[in-house]
Amino acid sequence: MLPTTLNESQIWEALKEVEDPEMPISLVDMGMVFDVSVEGANTKIQLGLTATACPAIDFIFYDIRERLKKEGCEDIEIELVWDPPWTKERISEEGRFILSTWGLSV
Amino acid sequence: MATLSDEALKQKIEKGHLIETTEEMTEGYKKALIQILLVQADTELMSAPSYYMAARSAPSMNTRLSAYAVIQDELGHAHITYQLLEDLGMDKEYLIYGRKPHEFKNPYGFDQPLETWVELVVANAYFDRAGITLLGDPFENTSYGPWKRSLVKIDKEELFHLRHGEVWMKRLCEAGGQAKEEIQRAADWMFPMGVEWFGMPDHLKRHTAQLEYKLKGKTNDELRQIWLSAVVPLSESCGIHVPAHFDEAQQEYVLDYEFPVDYDPSQKRWKFDSPVSWDQVFERWKKRGPYNEIYVKSIQKHYKDFMAMLNGGN
Ligand SMILES: [Fe+2]
Ligand SMILES: [Fe+2]
Repeated sequence: MLPTTLNESQIWEALKEVEDPEMPISLVDMGMVFDVSVEGANTKIQLGLTATACPAIDFIFYDIRERLKKEGCEDIEIELVWDPPWTKERISEEGRFILSTWGLSV
Repeated sequence: MATLSDEALKQKIEKGHLIETTEEMTEGYKKALIQILLVQADTELMSAPSYYMAARSAPSMNTRLSAYAVIQDELGHAHITYQLLEDLGMDKEYLIYGRKPHEFKNPYGFDQPLETWVELVVANAYFDRAGITLLGDPFENTSYGPWKRSLVKIDKEELFHLRHGEVWMKRLCEAGGQAKEEIQRAADWMFPMGVEWFGMPDHLKRHTAQLEYKLKGKTNDELRQIWLSAVVPLSESCGIHVPAHFDEAQQEYVLDYEFPVDYDPSQKRWKFDSPVSWDQVFERWKKRGPYNEIYVKSIQKHYKDFMAMLNGGN
């Protein structure tokens, strides 16, 4: 297995390019990425969903893996976090701006 | 009703005026508006049982969640659109629960059985693309204000349906083998269904009340081109063959078969060597497809009994 070439902040950068499948906003700006940790070749991502029955869960996992594969990360673990739950307070300033131009206010 | 004449109304609309209330409408405007909204409402509603039938074969919990979310969106779209009709004086309850199956105005494509996960995702890629194409037009061009505003949210949600279809189509085609063969089989009957969705070509029918009142802005052929310009490249990028190509000389998409052709719903097969007249197509649509009754009944089934129970009757 190829060792990952990215450190944690680079993973965060890459995740900033993965969009929510339903809106033009990144998972990071949505506040859905709770934690990133890199240990050797293994990248672990803790993800909070906006709803337990998130319709896009499969796409989100797929998009994260595809994006990180491009950086040479192969060993990716995605863990769902329910405690603490995701709340809209987690959306970034930039995210709020994007959502307001998309017609949503949070 | 309006004191304006039809001509005066059309001139006002031509200048970009948005109609907001029934008082501003002429009989002709209102009639054409009801007709186009009814097609949309019925299409949204009937997509739900049709997608549900296929979604039952979702291969995992996560995929089931996304398919059911699409269905829930469609019910929401139907709800918004029947409400618009109610605001025009129609009875929403009657429209949904009182009509006979053959009175529903959804396209022939939603009279067909969707039987597998693969058919669901191709429907999302082809049929929801037809939906976005048909609803993106009034969102941009319609002269009826309440309809235009109702489409903001609908069109956004449709983007997810489309993405659901396109991403799954790509994933299944990348897997190759049986997955790709099944996509091809679904595309074989669903692509021409989408072509037919947009109705008669412009050289046979161009001036319609819907265009004159600017309820929509684009002709059937223009809309069909927009659909083809999305669906043909998508299919080709998946390695799926569809009977259409981009013609350099004409600078537009052309079909590789004589349009329209005969369809055998029991085999889900188009008879490309049997061109038919549009009268024959209308005949087939009027006869309705094999699942028209099943879908309508699945929506209406429990309504009367339940209402009686709720009202204390037996
Ligand atoms: Fe819809
Ligand atoms: Fe849809």
